[in-house]
Amino acid sequence: MKRKYSWLALMIVFALALSACGGGGGGGSEEQPPATGGTETPSNEQGGQTEETGGEKPELRMLMQYGMFDPATEYTAKFITEATGYKVNYEMLPAENADEKLNLLVANKEEFDIMKLNAAQFYKLATSGALEPIDELLAAHGNHINNAIKPESWESATIDGTRYAIPETGSGIAIGEELVVRQDWMDELGLKTPTNTDELYEVLKTFKEKKNVIPLTGSKDTIMGDIAAAFGVVNEWNEVDGKLVHMAEMPELREFLAYMRKLYEEGLIDPELPINTAAKAIEKFSGGKAAMYKLAWWNAGNTISALNKNFPEAKAAVIPFLKNKDGVAQIGANAGTTWFIAIPKVSKHKEDAMKLLNAKLEPETFKEMAIGKEGVHHEVKDGKYYPILPKFNDDLNNGSNFLTGVDETNYPIYWQARVRKDPILQSYYEEFQKNAEGITVVNPMSFAPPLDAISKNKLKLGQMLNDHMLAIISGAESLDNYDKFLETWRAEGGADSVAQANEWYQSTK
Amino acid sequence: MKRSTTLAAQTAPPRRPAGYFRKLRSDVFKEWDLYLLLVPGILFILLFKYTPMYGIIIAFKDFNIFDGYAGSPWVGWKHFEKLFHSADFVRVFRNTVIISLLKLVFLFPLPIIVALLLNELKNVIFKRSVQTIIYLPHFLSWVIVSGLFIDLLSTNGGLVNKALVAFGMEPVAFFLDSSVFRSVLVTSAGWKETGWSTIVYLAAFSTIDPQLYEAAKIDGAGRLKQVWHITLPGIAPIIVLMLILRLGNLLEAGTEQILVMYNPTVYNVSDVIGSYVYRMGLGNQDYSFTTAVGLFEAVISFALILSGNALSRKYLQRGIW
Amino acid sequence: MSKPSNAIRSSVPEKLFNAFNHLFFILAGITTLLPFVNLLAKSLSSESAVISGTVGLWPVGWQTGTYRYVLQNAMFLNAFQVSVLVTVVGTALSLAMTTITAYPLSKPRLRGRKWFLLLFIFTMLFSGGLIPTYLLMHNLGLVNSLPVLFLPAMVNVFNMLIIKNYFEGLPDSLEESAKLDGAGNIRILLYVVLPLSLPVLATIALFFAVAFWNDYFAPMIYITNPSLKPLQLYLKELLVASGGEFLKDNVDAALNTTPQSIQAASILLATVPILLVYPFLQKYFVKGVLIGSVKG
Repeated sequence: MKRKYSWLALMIVFALALSACGGGGGGGSEEQPPATGGTETPSNEQGGQTEETGGEKPELRMLMQYGMFDPATEYTAKFITEATGYKVNYEMLPAENADEKLNLLVANKEEFDIMKLNAAQFYKLATSGALEPIDELLAAHGNHINNAIKPESWESATIDGTRYAIPETGSGIAIGEELVVRQDWMDELGLKTPTNTDELYEVLKTFKEKKNVIPLTGSKDTIMGDIAAAFGVVNEWNEVDGKLVHMAEMPELREFLAYMRKLYEEGLIDPELPINTAAKAIEKFSGGKAAMYKLAWWNAGNTISALNKNFPEAKAAVIPFLKNKDGVAQIGANAGTTWFIAIPKVSKHKEDAMKLLNAKLEPETFKEMAIGKEGVHHEVKDGKYYPILPKFNDDLNNGSNFLTGVDETNYPIYWQARVRKDPILQSYYEEFQKNAEGITVVNPMSFAPPLDAISKNKLKLGQMLNDHMLAIISGAESLDNYDKFLETWRAEGGADSVAQANEWYQSTK
Repeated sequence: MKRSTTLAAQTAPPRRPAGYFRKLRSDVFKEWDLYLLLVPGILFILLFKYTPMYGIIIAFKDFNIFDGYAGSPWVGWKHFEKLFHSADFVRVFRNTVIISLLKLVFLFPLPIIVALLLNELKNVIFKRSVQTIIYLPHFLSWVIVSGLFIDLLSTNGGLVNKALVAFGMEPVAFFLDSSVFRSVLVTSAGWKETGWSTIVYLAAFSTIDPQLYEAAKIDGAGRLKQVWHITLPGIAPIIVLMLILRLGNLLEAGTEQILVMYNPTVYNVSDVIGSYVYRMGLGNQDYSFTTAVGLFEAVISFALILSGNALSRKYLQRGIW
Repeated sequence: MSKPSNAIRSSVPEKLFNAFNHLFFILAGITTLLPFVNLLAKSLSSESAVISGTVGLWPVGWQTGTYRYVLQNAMFLNAFQVSVLVTVVGTALSLAMTTITAYPLSKPRLRGRKWFLLLFIFTMLFSGGLIPTYLLMHNLGLVNSLPVLFLPAMVNVFNMLIIKNYFEGLPDSLEESAKLDGAGNIRILLYVVLPLSLPVLATIALFFAVAFWNDYFAPMIYITNPSLKPLQLYLKELLVASGGEFLKDNVDAALNTTPQSIQAASILLATVPILLVYPFLQKYFVKGVLIGSVKG
């Protein structure tokens, strides 16, 4: 009987012996990591730190934001090494809890040479003294960088007159979302495309009565947008009489909420709006359960092709931006810096880091990083860049993660190749941009430098406001108590944010 | 092995009425091997758990990660006051306790009952398959479970509401209705974890002497009587242990689940300490405040475990120690 | 009534109970199985069918490319290897460590037992927090290494208490007779107690294995090197990176999300291996191991 279990006893003994080695030593016994299949462990401790004695280019260590790929095997990583002569070890922040992880890394003085940070992360590290001021390095080694980046972008990375990062702007000002409707149903019911919120209400009402579908679905995260803009709440920050006003404090927001409440109460908005994710809303629209949805162009390819597969007779159309009570259509947009490329103080290779960053912005190198080689990754038709598939996707899908600052004149043009991967996607992108032409209002805070109260409170206040708006729309809270909410919002940092935003805004005039 | 124990027994000093540590020393001499077994475990927790314990002090400081532990200023009870004085504290604390108690009352006995029912299945293959299948949901993350329940309970084509309508009842927006949302939390937690939680009881059944059942059958005891007089007493120790440990979790109402499932329309009944702290900390890591909240929870939990153990020793004559 | 063969009596209420019991478990089994069938169906359906929510229990627009994609993905395969290694080594070491800790604590004669137990239980509730723990791992040179994924978790107090509880239930006579034969404590543990404790050891092995397999938090904190990431972290990030929060203000990521059918296939492929452990361990949950062994 016992022999049958001897394997177990053996295993325990073996394990005991092993754990005795590990635990018995106590204290600071450093365990060797067991060998795994195919690991290349650039350990932090002994990572090849060749002294900066000129000549030899050291290996650099860069921290990037999360992306769904292994940077070591990426085409772009290899290209960068080839073009600049620097070998770079890439490590990533996690997709979740990225800020916490970053704090741990920085507090423990992990020796990164380059970090790609978002605005809040950048502000926190810069004001904590963890980042190297880069003015001198830029003057010495930054000729390409200085050519590529415009002065208004530098502003966003400047704190008290000192630059702490290279700002990376995105693909230019672009409108992301617009209302999309089932045109086949509109035609069937003889409805005309609504041009303002009253007409929208009538259209939704007819959908409800005649088609018995969800007239308008949406996701809990994106309540704002074109309907709000039609009420005058165009951006998160809006200029009113020379002052910046946050949307939470605008009287127009209450009108918008009252309107949305009316729609919800009458069943004209998806009753499940407070729990809908974007994926869920897309499911309802492409599954033929909803008539209207504020679609993002980057989701258009999937959504519209799924709709057409399910209902070959279905036709989707974009509703042009609604006009406000003065008969004017407006739409808000954010511009400005998305990422901040910084050199930490603990880096042992600051000059080399700057040299690498500079080399990456050499115009030809940058172009190839952005859209690859002509004839291999992209082709030029009527002055526009088109991707060559599948090579473009295979090699460059994750390419933007490696960018460290962009050629601000040309990148928006290069970047559009990414939109031209899919004809549906491209057509929606282009239609949205065309509709927004001439009526786009850029968020005036887009080019503000990092401000203390806003960096600290933006996320929290944003969630508070979004939650409260959902509660009002769904009827869990009354709009009559909005003042009380506003009090809390101001006390939790809203008041400071408004004050600091205006302080900056006045200084720019 | 044999020699060494006898040797230890011989060299042990003669027992004298003396202090606790003298007795302890003599015990250690006598059964050095028993104490030796404890050494690795204690070294491990000393190293990995107690060494970092100094981190708790930041509950009383304004901690900035870049200034470090020594550099951050002391602030006394500030963070605790912030917690207790915040407008939502009473609501949040109440929700935490209510949801946790609901889960305790409904979901603690459930795995025991299911384990007992499983135990009554005679067909081994059926029994094993069922065991394997009902523990599956444990492996789904809350995001997925939440998505399942949203679909199932949806007012727009959800199975449950279709059934309600078919029986002539009004559809219920389960996720948006404050009066039923807590039951959604409890039900989904039960669905996800009950099968998994039976395992520990299933293992305990194996300690029960089958001869007891034989004897009971001869005495003419039915199944219910056997369960009541043999099975339940047989697994009572593990039930008591699980219950005491569960008490220690009273202030953890399932933050991970709630963060995924709740929404602003039901905050009033579902916002718990964990979710509240999460929302208030968005975007700025307030380590001091979170540590203070954690410390507050830990102190209460520790007190609950101590008193749970004391009560259990008094009335059930057994406890963790 | 019909055939009183093995049972002494089988009354009508008992038959009814049996029928209901079976029915209950069949229904329970169906509700727990269906979500997995749904995931399987999604993983084998066309992406447009999955997006519009038309997939139920049967694939719509059959394809198997998702599995080919996942199984050819170097990151997935590498993460899989890491997970298997951490789970196997971690479970073996942790089981041993937890068992030897539980044994002395199960002996009421152990002087100071209460204080030792409190020392352990204290760590279930109080912790120094992430920052000092990270600092410790950093100083031990464990950051970005595989042992960090199991060493700190090796003495699990919850599991230890379950084992201790089980040991306490073993009859004292066993130990006494072994003592009369001159066996020391370690020998008694290895040759008398452990063979009788297979049900609880199997249970705890399962708990450890599942915990190590499912852990994504420790690797998220301690691992930045992509080639050392285990499967659940890979999966978690795949799902998070395809969700709304992550894609906000990040157009390039939004253009590049993982299709839902591939997500479903990844979830299944990352879950099935650990599901297979339980049926394998089930045979140790046999009734009356104890008595059989004492006799044999």
